[in-house]
Amino acid sequence: MSLSYLLETYGSLYKDALLTTWWMTLVSFALVMVVSTLITTLRVSPFKPLRLAADVYVQIFRNIPGISLLIFVVYALPYLKVILNYRVSVILVTVLIASAFGSEHFMSGINTIKIGEIEAARLIGLNFIQILRHLVIPQALRSAVLPMTNLFVGVMLTTALGSQVPLNPAELTGVVSYINTRDVGGILTFLISALGYVLTSVVISYLGNRLDKKVRILR
Amino acid sequence: MSAHINVRDALYEAPGPKTKRAMYIGTALSLALVLLGLFAIIRQFYITGQLNSSQWSFFLRISTWNFLFAGMRGTFLVAICAGALSLILAFIMMLGRISKHRILRGISRVAIDFFRGVPSLLLVYFFFLVLPKYELRVGVFWMLCLPITLTASGVLAEVLRSGVQAVPKGQIEAAMSIGLTHGQVLRKIILPQAIRYVIPSLIAQFVIVVKDTTVAYVVSYPDLMQNARVLVTTYDALVSVYFVTAVIYILINYLINRASKALSRRMGLHS
Repeated sequence: MSLSYLLETYGSLYKDALLTTWWMTLVSFALVMVVSTLITTLRVSPFKPLRLAADVYVQIFRNIPGISLLIFVVYALPYLKVILNYRVSVILVTVLIASAFGSEHFMSGINTIKIGEIEAARLIGLNFIQILRHLVIPQALRSAVLPMTNLFVGVMLTTALGSQVPLNPAELTGVVSYINTRDVGGILTFLISALGYVLTSVVISYLGNRLDKKVRILR
Repeated sequence: MSAHINVRDALYEAPGPKTKRAMYIGTALSLALVLLGLFAIIRQFYITGQLNSSQWSFFLRISTWNFLFAGMRGTFLVAICAGALSLILAFIMMLGRISKHRILRGISRVAIDFFRGVPSLLLVYFFFLVLPKYELRVGVFWMLCLPITLTASGVLAEVLRSGVQAVPKGQIEAAMSIGLTHGQVLRKIILPQAIRYVIPSLIAQFVIVVKDTTVAYVVSYPDLMQNARVLVTTYDALVSVYFVTAVIYILINYLINRASKALSRRMGLHS
C-alpha cells in the first residue's frame, strides 16, 4: 500500500483516530488528577477506615491488568445491571488504573517532606489547614511533576484498550486493526499510528521536563 | 522520636479530649460509610443472581483450578521469556545510550523513545496483523512474547540508565586517574554498582510484563485470561470467573511488588 493511497483512503480515519486518542487522553488525565487527589486525601485523613479503603483501592488498581479490568467492565458489569457505553468504559478503566498510580506519586511527594518542617510549622503556630496549604501541598505537587508527566504518557498508552471494543471513531490502535483486516494494509498503517503516539509522548515529556525544571525543589 | 513516624501521622498533633471524641465519631461514621459501600456492592451481586451457587460451585472442582493453573503456566512462560529477552535488549540499548559514539547514542535514544512511546497492543497488532502481510509469520507464542519484550525493553533501558547515573562521578574520575580504560571503568566500576542499585525496580517492572501478557486475549494464546474465557463458556458463569481471574492477577502482581520492596529494604536502598 502506498502512502498516497493510504492517506487518500484512510487519511480522515487517522485524523479522527488521533483526535480520539488525544481527547480520551486529556479527559482521562483530567479525571485522574481529580480522583487521585481524592484518594490521596483519604489516605492521609485521620480516619483509619478511610485510609484503609483508599490503600486497598490503590493496591487493587495498580496491580490489575488493563485488559482484565476492561473485560470486567464491558462484559461483567451489565450482568450486575451496570451498563456503560464503550467509550465511557475505556475511560473508566483508564481513570481507575491511572488514579492508583497518581495517588502513589502524590504520596511519595508527601513523603519527601521532612517531618521537622511540619513540626517547625506547628511550632510557629500554623494550624492543620495552613500546614497543608503552605507546606505539604506545594511540595507534594512540585515533586510530583515528573512522575505525573510519565503518568500522562501512560494514560495515553492505556487508552489503546479502546481497540478491544467497537469505538466510533476508532482510536489510533484500533484503526490499525481496522485497516489491516479490511484492506491490503502493511507496515505504513502501523507506522502512522506509532508516530502519532511517539510524537505526542515526546511533546508531553518535553513540556513536563520544562515545567519540572521551573518548579523543582533543590535539596 | 520523630524518626519512627511517617509524614501521614506527623501531620496530626496529639489529640486533646475534645478532638479525641470527634475522632471516635469520625472513625465510626467513616467505618459505617465504607461498610455501606461494601454492602451495596455485595447486594448488587446478590439481587442480580451472581451469588447463586451455580455461579461459584465449579470453583470447588479440582479440574477448574487445574485449568486455571495451566493458564497461569502460560502466563508465566510468556512473562519470563519476555522479561529475560527485554532485559538483554534493554542492556544493549542502555549501553548504546551512554556510549561515546554520537550515532550509536542517537539510534539508541530513538529506539528507546519509540518503544516507550507506543502501546503494547499496537505492537501486538504489528506482529499479528501487519507482518503476515509480508508472509512473515511467527508462532502465537512469539506474537505475544516479542511485542511485550519490545515495550518492556524501552522502559527497562531507562531504569538501567538511572542506575548508571546513580554511580558517583568521583569514583569514575578516580578509576580514570589510576589508568583504567573507558571499557574497564564501565565493566569494573559502573555496571556492578548500577545493576545492584536497580535490581528492586527491575523486579517491580516485572509487574508491567505480567500485566502485558493479558494481550494474549487478542492472539488467543492459552494464558490465564484465555483459559478464563473458556471457563466462562463451559460453565456459563461470566462474572464469577472474570472476578476470580482479576483477583489472581492482583495477587500475583501484589506479591511481586512486595518482593521488590522487601529486597530494596534489605539492600539498604530507600524504596
